[in-house]
Amino acid sequence: MSKKVRVALYWMASCGGCEEAQVDAITDELSVIDYLDIVFWPVAMDFKKEDVEKLPDQSIDVALINGGVRLSEHVEMAKLLRRKSKIVIAYGSCSSWGGIPGLANLYQKEEILSRVYSEVPTVAEEGRRPQRKYVTEEGVELELPEFLPMLLPLNAVIEVDYYIPGCPPSPETTLKALKTLLSGETPPRGSVLGASSRALCEECPLNKTKPDKVLVKEIKRVYNAKIDPEKCLLIQGIPCLGPVTRGGCEALCPRVAMPCIGCYGPLDRHIDYGGKALSFIASIIDARSEDEIKKIIDTGIPDPAGLVYKFTLPASRFRMNLRKWGGSR
Amino acid sequence: MTEEYEPKILMIACNWCSYAAVDLAGTSRMRSPHNIRIIRVMCSGRVDPQMVLEAFVNGADGVIVAGCRLGDCHYIEGNYKTLRRMALLKKLLEQLGVEPERFRLEWISAADAKKYVEVANDMVEKLKKLGPLRISFEEISKLIEEVKHIE
Amino acid sequence: MSGEEIRIGVYVCHCGTNIAGTVDVEEVVRYASTLPNVVIARNYVFMCSEPGQQLIKEDIKKYNLNRVVVAACSPSLHELTFRNAVKEAGLNPYLFEMANIREHCSWAHPDRRKATEKAKDLIRMVVAKARELEPLEEIKIDVTKKALVIGGGVAGLRAALDLARSGFTVYLVEKRPTLGGHTARIPFIRYLGVRGDELISSIVKELVSMPNIKIYTNADVVSMEGGVGSFRVRIRVRPKYVDSKCNLCGECVKVCPVEVSNEYEYGVGTRKAIYLPYQTAYPQIYVIDPEVCTRCGECVKVCPTKAIDLDEKERYEDIEVGTVILATGYDPYEPEKGELGYGLSKKVITLFQLERLLDERGPTKGVLRIGDTEPRVIVFISCVGSMGTSPKAGSYCSRMCCSTMLSAALKIRDQLPGSYIYVIHKDIRTYGYDEELYWKALERDIRFVRYEELPEVKVSGDKIEVVVKDITIGEYISVPADLVVLVNGMAQGKYLREVLNVVRVSCGDEGFVKEAHVKLRPVDAASEGIYLAGSVTGPKSVIESIIHGSAAAARAATVLSKDHVFAEPIIAKVDEDLCSGCLVCVGMCPYNAISTKETDGRRIAFVNPVLCMGCGTCAAACPSGAMQQQGFKDKQVFAQIRAFAR
Repeated sequence: MSKKVRVALYWMASCGGCEEAQVDAITDELSVIDYLDIVFWPVAMDFKKEDVEKLPDQSIDVALINGGVRLSEHVEMAKLLRRKSKIVIAYGSCSSWGGIPGLANLYQKEEILSRVYSEVPTVAEEGRRPQRKYVTEEGVELELPEFLPMLLPLNAVIEVDYYIPGCPPSPETTLKALKTLLSGETPPRGSVLGASSRALCEECPLNKTKPDKVLVKEIKRVYNAKIDPEKCLLIQGIPCLGPVTRGGCEALCPRVAMPCIGCYGPLDRHIDYGGKALSFIASIIDARSEDEIKKIIDTGIPDPAGLVYKFTLPASRFRMNLRKWGGSR
Repeated sequence: MTEEYEPKILMIACNWCSYAAVDLAGTSRMRSPHNIRIIRVMCSGRVDPQMVLEAFVNGADGVIVAGCRLGDCHYIEGNYKTLRRMALLKKLLEQLGVEPERFRLEWISAADAKKYVEVANDMVEKLKKLGPLRISFEEISKLIEEVKHIE
Repeated sequence: MSGEEIRIGVYVCHCGTNIAGTVDVEEVVRYASTLPNVVIARNYVFMCSEPGQQLIKEDIKKYNLNRVVVAACSPSLHELTFRNAVKEAGLNPYLFEMANIREHCSWAHPDRRKATEKAKDLIRMVVAKARELEPLEEIKIDVTKKALVIGGGVAGLRAALDLARSGFTVYLVEKRPTLGGHTARIPFIRYLGVRGDELISSIVKELVSMPNIKIYTNADVVSMEGGVGSFRVRIRVRPKYVDSKCNLCGECVKVCPVEVSNEYEYGVGTRKAIYLPYQTAYPQIYVIDPEVCTRCGECVKVCPTKAIDLDEKERYEDIEVGTVILATGYDPYEPEKGELGYGLSKKVITLFQLERLLDERGPTKGVLRIGDTEPRVIVFISCVGSMGTSPKAGSYCSRMCCSTMLSAALKIRDQLPGSYIYVIHKDIRTYGYDEELYWKALERDIRFVRYEELPEVKVSGDKIEVVVKDITIGEYISVPADLVVLVNGMAQGKYLREVLNVVRVSCGDEGFVKEAHVKLRPVDAASEGIYLAGSVTGPKSVIESIIHGSAAAARAATVLSKDHVFAEPIIAKVDEDLCSGCLVCVGMCPYNAISTKETDGRRIAFVNPVLCMGCGTCAAACPSGAMQQQGFKDKQVFAQIRAFAR
């Protein structure tokens, strides 16, 4: 492409890690910056919402949006960027599937606000809730965005063209994805870019240490297990999600004896990532009595949702905890 | 006059045992609740937790996964894998706010039509008290629609 | 197949009034025709009939159908019928699916509205699956023209003989050291006019003269893999410690210090640790019971032909057969100690024990004595262990006990003309020609007392009193008895559970093996290639067992006479593009059908299509969704689930 690519980068409910990853990727290969014309990047540049609103529709070539949808402002901006962009990419696990903040969907909005603003030990007196509207002494009307009842992935509020997975996406993944688009290639809409179409085990150096049958008598917790860094973590009883997670990160975590926690998200055939992860982990437990199985699970997996939905709860089939919604409950 | 709430239950039954037990119940003209819709698989070992989640999302107020009795699996030990998966799924469903009565794992031998009828009746009774689950998903969909319309 | 327009035909069966009497089939057809991709929807009185099948075949051609759904009875009955019909019309038989609206609907729910709504839902779900079906090719399996018969009782022997006569090689495996089962211990079989052991001997004589039969006694089947056409079986032959040099002199018995209850006399006699089961046992070789033998070596010293080797080891043999016949028989119901006085007095015996005492070749040469006394009052109590008379009893009738009981009673009448013989019974079921036994018994002053509740047998010291409420007169009567015979029925074989760990067929609640279909497939086990013969499926007389054995042999021959059989292709398959080589599936398969292979420098999973039995467990475990079960793929099953709600 001879013309520079007009790029917008925006962050929603984000930790900032994706921003660092983007900078990492760009500084890894500085030549990439020659191709990019950044028109909106709140973390680094002083463009405002009005600047985006002034742009003609579809005049942004690519919008990279990271972070989950948690505030009404995120919805507004997402829709605005969708109007103004040819291609919208969900960058990172949070915008793709909700990410770690997505685990907040295990709680109701009221529970969260109450905990944060009233119950934690650092709150003074009875605490105070943020008010959505506030008029200052000078008569200036301030408005805070609404805290939505759940966290959503980007594709719940706008059409998303591509996904770049990871928490954060590795520099290799980011560059690979960008280069794919810069080269003029148009993968099918909805594709995951920059990563593998197969699960992590393929690229993990520990995969070849697996015995004939993968069966474990115990599931261990990472914090107190003695881990042999030369052997596959799964066969040592550590719940590594490598088999169920998309590859492309070069197995960074297993390489340092930490189990994959699933940040590159689901594979194309998955209907519910968490359900599939549960299926394979339970399947390899080598026990036959209900009591034995319960003991192994209660010891090793006290928090199944935290294990299998760490990055994908808002994109799961349920999306959130159903308690207190409807019916006679 | 509102119609009495009739729970809708999906049962995934294995061909050799539990599906045959439901057949036997029918052949013996045993009355069983009409609320149950059965999907046949060859072995309960085919049942993936994703299927149970999908059933709930698609209107099931309750789900039963039924297989051969432990030790009697036609394919030797498929049902042991089912046991393990469903044990973990039960824990997850609790975290996702689904009442434990809504999901059952049952071992029903091909001769045990009686057990099928008992399980079915018991579940319908319990689900009638709990009310419909589908409402929760409908409400969540509504909420998401509302969110989408924020300008 | 992709990109092709899906054209579905839906056929709703009335099954006479079985379905149409409850379900509004017209409304169901109307509903079916509104479903996407349904090109034609019909209803007909009997879809499984010739004209019904013709409808489908014609429609496939006329409407260019490429998927067919039949809503009718359970697929266990006619799935095969319709698959064949579809195949004959030129469509792949696996593009067909059934909805069960009879057993699961019309027969279970009498409410017309509810049954009709449910029928619609079931059809909608099956149509959704049908949309996703793919053509599958059946797997051709070479048939090994050999058969395995497990169980050397009368049914197994008959089955083995019939198959050997048909020219197939037969392996016969018998757990006990002798062939013959319980039939060999029956003194007299009425219709055949022979002794049980003579009947057995005549079959065995012909059997051993055939070159294509191999008999293993004192042996078990310890593992079995594979399926119809090719079962790989491991046989364990346990040591008898005595070889064929044995000349039956019996010197060893004289010096053996161990004496135990003789199971071949049902406990009314004893045997030594080294013994010949009975005079006409086959093979004619003494055997040592390792559980009671003290290894004193006395028998070794006196054996003139040096036939005894106390260090003989068990050996294993691997065989391959095309079919398996399970004929492991039954065992008599064993009353518990204290049940109706059993075990509390030597005057209370079972029917099986009585038969041994009445056998001229038995331990008392056929003379009925209790201790040294001739019993004067003999009381039979029938239906012990059957007809639900006690909590431990089976709820079924054991068929042969009434006839056997009255035959024995008449024999006692012959021997002891002055004795009082009472038959205390629930029902008298001397069926068929055995009815004449009942009339003869009445003529010969055998007295019948009918009960509803089991009588009480009071044992005090040497005295036995039987108290029962005679429901004909409505009063209690008490009989001081010299001999009480508990007429025990047939129950599950003692070792059946062990066998079923290897031969994967299922039992019903009463402990007998279930046949595939009581009416349509009475000697087939649910699994292809495995057949059932004799009382392993339930109580039978000797003649019925023989007939059953022949039937099982005929069924087995339908497979063995072919060069190939075709296995259902609903097996697991790996999508090689998607497999990451995580190996989770390998440990899931109980048949060891999954291994690994190299492709493009990657190690991925591979399913052996002949070993895969099609359970789908690996597919559910597969973390990436690369492993799919044909015919039950994720997209097919999930389509069915998603169609649950309208």
